[in-house]
Amino acid sequence: MSKGKIVSIHSFRGGTGKSNTTANLAAQVALAGKRVGVVDTDIQSPGIHVLFGLDENKMGKTLNDFLHGKCTIGEVAFNIGEKAADADGRAKLSGMNLWLFPSSIRGREISQILREGYDVNLLNQGFQGMLKELDLDYLFIDTHPGLNEETLLSIAISDILVIILRPDDQDFQGTAVTVDIARSLDVPNLLLMVNKALPKYNAADIKQTVEENFKASVAGVLPLSFDMAENASQDIFSLRFPDHEWSKALRGVSQSILEIK
Amino acid sequence: MPGIFDRLQKEIENKQGEGGITALDLADLPPTLRKIMRLMLRELQLGYPEMTDAIASLPDAERIPSKELDESLDVLTRQGWLIRIGEGLKAIYKVNLRRKSGSNLAGGIWGTLDEKLKK
Repeated sequence: MSKGKIVSIHSFRGGTGKSNTTANLAAQVALAGKRVGVVDTDIQSPGIHVLFGLDENKMGKTLNDFLHGKCTIGEVAFNIGEKAADADGRAKLSGMNLWLFPSSIRGREISQILREGYDVNLLNQGFQGMLKELDLDYLFIDTHPGLNEETLLSIAISDILVIILRPDDQDFQGTAVTVDIARSLDVPNLLLMVNKALPKYNAADIKQTVEENFKASVAGVLPLSFDMAENASQDIFSLRFPDHEWSKALRGVSQSILEIK
Repeated sequence: MPGIFDRLQKEIENKQGEGGITALDLADLPPTLRKIMRLMLRELQLGYPEMTDAIASLPDAERIPSKELDESLDVLTRQGWLIRIGEGLKAIYKVNLRRKSGSNLAGGIWGTLDEKLKK
């Protein structure tokens, strides 16, 4: 088995900042000198490519092509360190070992997957192939919110599952479902991350409440930030604004991931 | 003329077309079966000797006795969740995940959408 770790980033509901968090965590782990892959399994509504500066013109082969047998998984890999270091934050990734495996943003290719389904064995072979072919230390899987085939598979094969929630009752109830499933699937390491916490509340209190509720470790409480909203997914926020409170808290989460043996 | 690898691959693909396990099914499996399936999800394919080596390398508390391993592999194979090619020490096991089914929406709706997306 590959020595690389699979890190799934999940949230039960949309709008938690999952793709932004995934991109930032992957970037921080790559900056720590690790070989990192990021795969977008949100096939029906892909988005993480935007944070890495990709658009339809720059994107080559995609996960959709792989699932349709049109290319190998290695051909899907987009080398961020070589090709996408074009914004202030992303420039810090120049020369780093970071690859993105994007999903297609072409309407017809998204509709084809929805219409025809796909071979889940092939998707899993793709994940394992990414780890092996690029000798990755970490593969981050960005998932669709809620529970579906891609999400459940990614949870089942994870070494580390990060569940993102907001301090919100709907998120709390949904997170309880995901935590139950993760425990049923024997995920070895479960981390929670609270995002978009109102700055007027005490982060330590939020952490304690969430940990008591879910009997799981909270790796970070990240503040709701207008600066983050203003960034509008145009750059990797924690690289562009490393001294921002959000970025500091995010680095605490990436450190927790790196400390897991 | 197809070689032995091609024939085995074809046999695996034919068997993979029949049923298979979903990730949600995994959550309902007894612990020993789930442990084997989780290992197989990461390894994709293992020969029997490699499987016993992998189980033997687990921490003491997680190891599966040989008889229980054999019985569990039989159960998983009968269910179609693992595919077994060959027998005994020469057996090769491969994980079999159920295909994600397509949409139940009427074909005409997809046809119309495709036409609009072409424009």
